[in-house]
Amino acid sequence: MQHEIRQTLIKRLEAEARQVRRNIWRALRAGGSGHAGGSLSATDILAALYFHRMRIRPGEPNWPERDRFVLSKGHANAALGAVLAQAGFVDDAVLDRFYGFESPFGMHPDIKVAGVEMCTGALGHGLAVATGMALGARIQKLPFHTFVMLGDGELHEGSNWEAAMAASHYRLANLTAIVDHNKISQSGRVADIISVDPLADKWRAFGWEVREIDGHDMAAVVDTLDALPLHPDRPTAIVAHTVKGKGVSFAENTYLWHSNNVNDEILARALAELGVP
Amino acid sequence: MNTAAPVVADWRTRAANQTRLAFGQALLELGARESRTVVVSADTQDLLGIRPYIERYRDRFIELGIAEQNAIGVAAGLATTGLRPYVCAYAPFITARSMEQVRNDVAYANQRVVIGAAASGISLGVAGGTHHALEDLALMRSLPNMTVIVPADIDEAYKATLATLDIDGPVYLRLGGRTEEPPVNDSEAPFRLGRAVKLRPGSDVAVIACGALVEMAVRASDVLKREGIGARVINMHTIKPFDRETVLEAAAETRGIVTAEEHHLTGGLGGAVAELLAVEHPTRMRMVGMPDIFAMVGPTIPLRAKYGMSAEAIADACRALALT
Repeated sequence: MQHEIRQTLIKRLEAEARQVRRNIWRALRAGGSGHAGGSLSATDILAALYFHRMRIRPGEPNWPERDRFVLSKGHANAALGAVLAQAGFVDDAVLDRFYGFESPFGMHPDIKVAGVEMCTGALGHGLAVATGMALGARIQKLPFHTFVMLGDGELHEGSNWEAAMAASHYRLANLTAIVDHNKISQSGRVADIISVDPLADKWRAFGWEVREIDGHDMAAVVDTLDALPLHPDRPTAIVAHTVKGKGVSFAENTYLWHSNNVNDEILARALAELGVP
Repeated sequence: MNTAAPVVADWRTRAANQTRLAFGQALLELGARESRTVVVSADTQDLLGIRPYIERYRDRFIELGIAEQNAIGVAAGLATTGLRPYVCAYAPFITARSMEQVRNDVAYANQRVVIGAAASGISLGVAGGTHHALEDLALMRSLPNMTVIVPADIDEAYKATLATLDIDGPVYLRLGGRTEEPPVNDSEAPFRLGRAVKLRPGSDVAVIACGALVEMAVRASDVLKREGIGARVINMHTIKPFDRETVLEAAAETRGIVTAEEHHLTGGLGGAVAELLAVEHPTRMRMVGMPDIFAMVGPTIPLRAKYGMSAEAIADACRALALT
């Protein structure tokens, strides 16, 4: 019985993720271009967070006890916009107004939008901000958990490691960093630009509890998120191995789709590959 | 604002005529008045005199070490949860090094983060150019949402720190170093954000000064008075929001304006005055401040004088405007 309930959950989340991917392409078509690759690699994790793991109230976005999510790799804003719309924080119609004049959604998140916790996109900021949120929870004895998603290329920014030191120093078990390890940044493969390996060992050396997962295996994602915190006195780092551009063949595993133009033809091809929701 | 007696009766003694220490003393009072106060240090516990605060409010204190970018990001995160963080830092590092965090996480996100920035200007003269902050006002006042305050003495620093309770947005409080900042203001006068203080009357020329240069401006005015020159002295403690009325009034009522600040001549108080007057009321000006060079090493007071930041230099600038 338990098994069946769980299978139903996984299937529901996979369906949500499929819809998120469709909405990402829809939003990027509205914008005319954008960061497809890093949005699609993050999708399954975002779906598991917003439609399963996080304690949130879309109708009360400033609820003090809500779990926090900071999209440090803010260029994946199309994915964030898609989950916020599907969760009901913002109207679904905003997905058709991406980058539009006075749209709540440009290329990067803006804290003024319901459900967005920080203005991000300049890389190397989110982990420090999330550390502050987790400290704020502790000081005020609030029960919320803070999640932050980082890109792997983003980890080139040294400020991440300042925050990583502070978070483990303060034993922030209420903080989880998820690295969307899609192996590709703007100009090519991260390993060729500046290697971040050995990535899991780096986090361990900084005092974090680490788990490596397949970031597209919904069961693994759910199991890991449900097990948090992985250690009672340490922040958790989830190194999620992902595929840049996941779900659409022509966009997968290439830096060319870090950011690219999206016209009607490309939208049609992408939606055809993703199938009906 | 609540005007009850200070929490620490002898705070003035403890502040020892240094604005950076007055800030630390005021934090004790903020801790008592506002339970959401949280103090963030970047290995700056003695620089801003916050050990008494830490002893009393250990659970509302966070040490983050020598990592200014992280200190600003963490403070922004704390602020999003409803806390009121006060970041204690070195002016040169917390502005130049952390500029992107200040801009994005604090100013753009419009979070209530107060930055107490000690060792501004060339107040750490002997530390050398790496430790001088002569561009911080230009950086901070260029940011939307940011309030920028430059206290001239310990009473002003103390009151300005308390006044941040009522400011719904980020604040940059520029503080001095280990050089004494003698009292210049009426210690009984309230601090009014964005409202400059007239310290000397005069209709021949007006000196608009901030920080350590206010005391020099007062001395210059007193010398000029004996020469028959009326030099109005305006303590422009708030650089942003800017007191346009007081500047325009001075421009209309005198023969010229001298600005005086411990900051590069580009982008600081002089720049703010010139930007306003160029548009609204073109006025003859002289600007006293740091020329476009890095300062040499030296004790602060002679170093200031070397680069033209002295009562004598202010008086000369006033004479040039008043007598021509």
